[in-house]
Amino acid sequence: MTKFVLNGQPVEYANSPDEMLLLVIRDTADLKGTKYGCGAAMCGACTVHVDGQAMFSCQMSLGDVEGAEVTTIEGLSDDGSHPVQKAWVAEQVPQCGYCQSGQIMRAAALLSENPDPSREEIVDYMSANLCRCGTYNRIFKAVERAAKEV
Amino acid sequence: MTKALDVHGISRRGFVQMASGLTFVLGVGGVTAVRASALNDAPLEVSHWLSIRPDGVISIVFPATEMGQGSYSTLPQILAEELDANWDDVEIEQLNADDRRFGNPLFGGVLYTAGSTAVQAFFEPMRRAGAQARDVLLQVAARELGVAKEELRTEPSVVIAPDGSRMSYGELVALGADGVTVPDAERVNLKDKSEFRIIGKDLPRRDVFAKSTGMAEYAIDVDLPNMAYATVLRAPVEGERPVSINDAAARAVPGVLDVVSLPDGVAIVAESLWSALGARSELEVEWSEDAPARQFNSEDTLRQYAQAADDPDAEHAVWAEKGDARAAIAAADRTYGQMYLSDYAYHAQIEPMAAVASVDADGQGAEVWAGTQTQSWTTRTVMDVLGIPEENVRLNMMTMGGSFGRRTAFAQDYVRDALLSSKAVGRPVKVIWTREDDVKHGTFRPAAAQKLEAGLTADGKLDGWHHKVATPTVIGFFNPVRWASVRPNDVISMRGAESKFYGITDFRADHIITPRQARLAPYRGIGAAYTSFAAEAFMDELAEQAGRDPLDFRLDLVEDNPRGRHILEKVAEMSGWRNRGDRALGLSFAGYSSSMAAGVAEIEVDADSGDIAVKHFWAAVDAGLIVSPDNTMNQIEGGIVFGISMALREKIDIENGEVLQNNYWDYEIARANQIPQIEIYVADVDAPPVGIGEVGTPMVSAAIANAFHATTGRRLRHMPFTPDRVLGVMAS
Repeated sequence: MTKFVLNGQPVEYANSPDEMLLLVIRDTADLKGTKYGCGAAMCGACTVHVDGQAMFSCQMSLGDVEGAEVTTIEGLSDDGSHPVQKAWVAEQVPQCGYCQSGQIMRAAALLSENPDPSREEIVDYMSANLCRCGTYNRIFKAVERAAKEV
Repeated sequence: MTKALDVHGISRRGFVQMASGLTFVLGVGGVTAVRASALNDAPLEVSHWLSIRPDGVISIVFPATEMGQGSYSTLPQILAEELDANWDDVEIEQLNADDRRFGNPLFGGVLYTAGSTAVQAFFEPMRRAGAQARDVLLQVAARELGVAKEELRTEPSVVIAPDGSRMSYGELVALGADGVTVPDAERVNLKDKSEFRIIGKDLPRRDVFAKSTGMAEYAIDVDLPNMAYATVLRAPVEGERPVSINDAAARAVPGVLDVVSLPDGVAIVAESLWSALGARSELEVEWSEDAPARQFNSEDTLRQYAQAADDPDAEHAVWAEKGDARAAIAAADRTYGQMYLSDYAYHAQIEPMAAVASVDADGQGAEVWAGTQTQSWTTRTVMDVLGIPEENVRLNMMTMGGSFGRRTAFAQDYVRDALLSSKAVGRPVKVIWTREDDVKHGTFRPAAAQKLEAGLTADGKLDGWHHKVATPTVIGFFNPVRWASVRPNDVISMRGAESKFYGITDFRADHIITPRQARLAPYRGIGAAYTSFAAEAFMDELAEQAGRDPLDFRLDLVEDNPRGRHILEKVAEMSGWRNRGDRALGLSFAGYSSSMAAGVAEIEVDADSGDIAVKHFWAAVDAGLIVSPDNTMNQIEGGIVFGISMALREKIDIENGEVLQNNYWDYEIARANQIPQIEIYVADVDAPPVGIGEVGTPMVSAAIANAFHATTGRRLRHMPFTPDRVLGVMAS
């Protein structure tokens, strides 16, 4: 059994501790907002928070989060009220939307460690996540908007 | 918010019994009949464009599929505008069947969401359906109030009487449609543009909240009771098949349910994706080694295509012709020619191929969840794979995690994988391709070699243009049925080569249909993704040959296209083109189909690394009437980013039939730190809408190549402009 805190709730799973954290989140915890994109730390669609840090859940195993606090997009807010999510809606960022859970989780992690980032810092930090629809400039604007509200 | 719509018999009867309200039957020319159930349970015949319930909810069918382009919101808005509906009263129904009554008129009625056509194709029919429904509501109100219809007016979802009293659409529906006649679609009154409350306004997209909270459900997210997971080990080369399978170790992995032999691979079906992936790595498969595709080598391919483009006697199909280009060039004061090359490119949509299938126990029916650009061909795939009739196919069209042409094929192998796996284990099965599967078994934008020749007059004007494109037929591969009816005209391979925004007196574009040496598919911008690169890079070279400014040289050619002239002048103004000094600016004028775009790129070249950085991009676009302005900006900007990505890095290599790339680490797409400041102007014109999904892409690569010339004096004629190529060109 691996025990950790998922979106504020203590959980324990009997899956192999070697199993990819992303798959445990999606298929065992049934939280589908976190996406598979590459399995190779290249796209960031699987970004979650582990003890407050933005992490690629495709690069972690279940055993890695024993005792940790894991937050997914579903745990960021119950109702889309997190400032980053509100900014995403206000700026109408998503197109296909598939990468956006990961983008939002990365942006939220950035603002929690740096509440007033410069444009350059935003660009640098967000470059870990890919958006094939090309919404990057809206992502930057949304992060700036959220920073004003955090 | 979305309710599944199914047109098959059982569901239709269910819908009839459930429904209460006014429904509209839309024929070829618009609404042809109206039926009401009022407050009683009178039977009604349901149409699928819209229904209005007594509680005021308006259901509008979304006949396309959503891949990020936003037409899930935009198309219903068009109908809602003429209905004069309150947008908050509208619910959107995804069309989940190959119901040709909703077919895309630009694709002969096939349910096919592609080519930036959805708004263009459905604008008129959906407007007229909305206007007819509004007229019917006015008639009901006139009957009830005893006034002439002409004395009534509407505000969103309400009819207002001369005395100021108001009746909601829901209340009117409850009163029934006795005595009402449906106006002729062609003669129904449409709103003047100045009366629009929805079209041209910035209503939020319906899907943005779900996509900002992790709630949007893609095919890869579908979860069913008792569902198993499958992953497929695929033949490394197209056309190969498993000849022997040692699956003992794979079957021993805990959770594995079955190992299923497919025509071109081996599927592992397991209780979890983790088990399936683990077991896949234990599979030992011997593949056949006799497929012709073993001979495919992308470097050789491009060399062959270049020889064909250069061969004056190469067999060709004329794609577009005006006047006599060859005679004009032969007689010109000067002639000039160049060759342009482009490699295979991959869609790189972030959601890999995934589908869920639940085949009935008797094998005679199936429910399928998939994200594709076509209800028609997904239905067809299920029918063909299982050998079942259309009415036994139960489809759920899911929103797509990007597509860009990836999910368009006539035969959809990922849907097939799910069906055969489900049939084998007697359970619902979700098939997921890994990123490596998606790259290695991708369907690509074709490689192309293009030879351009032109004549110039003594005073530096264009005098004859001949554009030869040596590339395979894309349609012939991804949709042989369509190829049989359009051959030899392949719009997917050739779009853009018609250079139709210029008034070139003696013009010709030829398609030299070369042998196919990879799996192919449409790709954002289709042919224009490379034909506009060649045409606009060549235009820049011609201007230089003529000793003219690239803007002036082009302006000569748009004398009969004032809208094109306007956007060229506009982008020049936005970018400071006339006073550019030594800034590295490059101009391009392209577009997609009937949508025009002029762009200017400003770049920086790192002479040591060979890296090109696009610092700024200005674009002026004319796409006719704009239904959703904010989404339009998002789409054009996304199209530009896509263009930058493909121009700088995107390249698939094939050796002995195998794709060399694996994942985003060796197929790089643009990241946040490669994105320029982008400024977009969209012309406000009184013309029908012509599409915004791809217009941003085709202009970009030539703008970058032309800016590269502005700063280095060298020409980039082989896309993508990778650092090694840049360094090579600079050293030459």
